[in-house]
Amino acid sequence: MRGQENLTTEDKKMLRSVFWRSWTMNASRTGATQYHAVGVIYTLLPVINRFYKTKEEQAEAITRHTTWFNATMHINNFIMGLVASMEKRNSEDPTFDASSITAVKASLMGPISGIGDSFFWGILRVIAAGIGISIANTGSFLGAIVFLLLYNIPAFFIHYYALYSGYSVGANFIQRMYESGGMKILTKCSSMLGLMMMGSMTASNVKFKTILEVSVKGSDQVMKIQDYLNQLFIGIVPLSVTFLAFWMLKKKVNVNVVMLSIMVLGILLGLLGIC
Amino acid sequence: MVVYGLLAALAVFICFGGNYLTGQSMMERPLVVGLVTGILMGDMKTGILMGASLEAIFLGNVNIGGVIAAEPVTATTLATTFAIISNIEQKAALTLAVPIGMLAAFVVMFLKNVFMNMFAPILDKAAKENNQKAIVALHYGTWIIYYLIISSISFIGIVAGSGPVELFVENIPQNVMNGLSAAGGLLPAVGFAMLMKLLWDNKLAVFYLLGFVLTAYLQLPAVAVAVIGVVICIVSAQRDLEIKDLMTTRSTVANTNGLSTQEAEEEDFFA
Repeated sequence: MRGQENLTTEDKKMLRSVFWRSWTMNASRTGATQYHAVGVIYTLLPVINRFYKTKEEQAEAITRHTTWFNATMHINNFIMGLVASMEKRNSEDPTFDASSITAVKASLMGPISGIGDSFFWGILRVIAAGIGISIANTGSFLGAIVFLLLYNIPAFFIHYYALYSGYSVGANFIQRMYESGGMKILTKCSSMLGLMMMGSMTASNVKFKTILEVSVKGSDQVMKIQDYLNQLFIGIVPLSVTFLAFWMLKKKVNVNVVMLSIMVLGILLGLLGIC
Repeated sequence: MVVYGLLAALAVFICFGGNYLTGQSMMERPLVVGLVTGILMGDMKTGILMGASLEAIFLGNVNIGGVIAAEPVTATTLATTFAIISNIEQKAALTLAVPIGMLAAFVVMFLKNVFMNMFAPILDKAAKENNQKAIVALHYGTWIIYYLIISSISFIGIVAGSGPVELFVENIPQNVMNGLSAAGGLLPAVGFAMLMKLLWDNKLAVFYLLGFVLTAYLQLPAVAVAVIGVVICIVSAQRDLEIKDLMTTRSTVANTNGLSTQEAEEEDFFA
């Protein structure tokens, strides 16, 4: 695959090892204070062992990566590539500030996950699931297979290129991206597309239907409240509930509380005979 | 019952554990979990159909920043198992999945944030000593421990729960059942709200409405909405790039102007 043109044989060997290890990065669990730190170290071991020769240097590098790390899978490999190139410079250049490695990791997690989560969770997964569900509804096992393929084939390529581009562009790249405004355009695009998909998903997946009916005086006909709601705006209740949840999250209400409130709301609607 | 319990635990371990060993390949989604549970329980078709329905229910359940609203693997496995081994209607089993998923989510959050913390000092110690073997062992060891515990929830759920669950589903009042399914219908809103919080920008909020109307009124499938979105994105990005180029050329022109204002003025005059 491309992206390897300017690399030495040793670079290639190291990155290949990092590439395969990185698939398991989120496998280990050591609690909320470290999150995926073990996975990060496991992924970076080939890098650390190549660039640092003494036990002390290796221990120092490993300890540096015991800090909290969590970023969207696949695109987090960009950070791994970047960190690998910085570890290389750190080992060659005695004036290099090693704390900048941790700083780059910490400062990139947020923006990278922002773009990554909206792309992988909001767009790619939703499209793959939409197609998968329609096949699985016919009772065919191909639904799950198609779903997995549609999601993982693009993910594989992103996983690969993220690592190699992160390694070759170096830390200055991010600064250039920010300064040139490219990052802004990328963020704007992913927000736009993500929000559109969220709107679409809200319409098709948040469901509400009232069974409430009102009898009209002097007539046998009953008026279904749902018909009125639909004439007003199709999906007005799901839309309102989603905005309610969104507003609560924005007010920093704990997500579990938000969920419980929606759950209680639903059960109340049932008990009151509205649904 | 014990055999079914073990099979359910196996399904959870394969899907949930496997998911994190393969780079979160989405094996943890109900579509896949339903199929795997169905195959293990010997009723693939029910598994697939349950998986498809539950995928739609849990579509809004996203795993962002380690926060989950409901845990879909345990929910799908238990609901599918109950649908296959007990005489529970598929629809009732679907409703059951929501509270199970919420309960499992609490257990999972506690496990990964609090309980697994006890392994944190081991990493700190191994790092200081450059004990790389211990780190590799910790990486895979905590993986096994964590997912074994989560799988055992399903085992206990099947062995202890199938009797009471059947009783519960048979005797549940109709309006409570309606309430549960109404809650299940509204719950995906939380997941979408979580993603929206990540993406929100007051200037771009109109695109949320666009997506909503395209689906609610025009009934467009997700793929069509995505393509329309990509088209809008490309058009807007091209315009943004043009504006950016315009800004940079303008500022460079302004810079050179400072040096040779007169020449530029003369050129303007003759042009």
